[in-house]
Amino acid sequence: MSDRRKHLEFLRRTAKDAIWAGDYDRALVLYDDGLALARGWKDRGLEDLFTCNRATTLIEMDRQDFDLSRLKEILLRSPSSFNGALAAYVCANAHEARGEYSRARFYAQTALQKSRDIRHDELTGTSLNLLANLELHESRFEEARDLFQEALERLDSQGESLSRQSAVASDNLGYCHIALDRLDVGVPLVQRSLSVLESLGARQAMDYPALDLCFAHVKTRQLGDAEEWGLRALGLGEEFGRQDVVKNSHYLLAETYSEMGREPEADEHYDALANYYPDFPALKHYLREISLVGMINLRA
Amino acid sequence: MSSQPLSPRKVHLVGSRIRELRKGRHLTQTELSERIGITQSDLSRMEQGEYKVGLDTLFKILQVFDLKMSEFFGETESPQEEEARELVSEFQGLSGDSRREVRDFVRFKKLQEQALGEPLPAEEEKP
Repeated sequence: MSDRRKHLEFLRRTAKDAIWAGDYDRALVLYDDGLALARGWKDRGLEDLFTCNRATTLIEMDRQDFDLSRLKEILLRSPSSFNGALAAYVCANAHEARGEYSRARFYAQTALQKSRDIRHDELTGTSLNLLANLELHESRFEEARDLFQEALERLDSQGESLSRQSAVASDNLGYCHIALDRLDVGVPLVQRSLSVLESLGARQAMDYPALDLCFAHVKTRQLGDAEEWGLRALGLGEEFGRQDVVKNSHYLLAETYSEMGREPEADEHYDALANYYPDFPALKHYLREISLVGMINLRA
Repeated sequence: MSSQPLSPRKVHLVGSRIRELRKGRHLTQTELSERIGITQSDLSRMEQGEYKVGLDTLFKILQVFDLKMSEFFGETESPQEEEARELVSEFQGLSGDSRREVRDFVRFKKLQEQALGEPLPAEEEKP
């Protein structure tokens, strides 16, 4: 590997670590630097790679200020390469973030096919994870569970190097089991995920596992544990600006306190949730009387 | 971890109840699915208890039905209960300042009635 490539690979690794730690601004600066260097060196392959990585970071930041057609151009120009497979994966993520689920599914399947063709385990595992998430969004829990299981096996087979991705797949698989009322299988998978993510300092990925454990404990009416995990999920959701996590945390915490008979605290969370829906003034009134726990999908 | 008993206080929203409420509103599956932003086949799965959705969609369902609590409990609501529920709902939709004004006005009316000695009779009770 040339010194130039080594330097850019170092930038990518450092940026990836920053993303897992939740420091997206730092990751974006590193990818911008790498992209400028690749362009300066007229290295098309590295430029494509950094273009994909930069777009992934922006998607994580809930930003859409990147050129999606540029990613599709990379896919068309390099259909049989790692960059082509990665571009398909990022396109799928971009369409998912825009709520364009059928397009997201098309690109995720393309990414999966191409990553299998080039025998790239990490991208195969993360593509499976993305496809499974799209199934979950459509409430197809059994199909999602099977895909997450395959993703987990693929990522686990790579040992320590992919342990963060593996932990995310483990949490998703655990959530599927919890939603399917197999808490005995699901909860240990989520606990394993949290433990790995915590040990690797991947704080930004710990919000969903915390939320999933809160949900599991609400289902089993282990309310003290539900409260503990709900507060943790809420804190992480607020820290990393994840509105879906924050809303679900407020709802599950309100239900928890309501079941505990701690009405002032329940009201506090019902109010916080109702603030997101100003055109539905009677929402809190309904939520105090009707439980939605049996119909909720935390990944929809 | 200690398990606590299930509270019977709340009514649980389930698919079969959504079907009953939809039929009570004379809505077809297509009409309701369009109003809450899902496909008709997904609504059908939801009514069968197979389809779970996010909070945004669940709240849209509650909003479309504009439920009376008694409907959910399968009870008949008295006119006074309905009036009270509607008042609470309208009150909750007000800003903080407006709520304070409403409270002040209620206090004023109570003081006025106390000053008169007897509460004013309701309109329909007058001879």
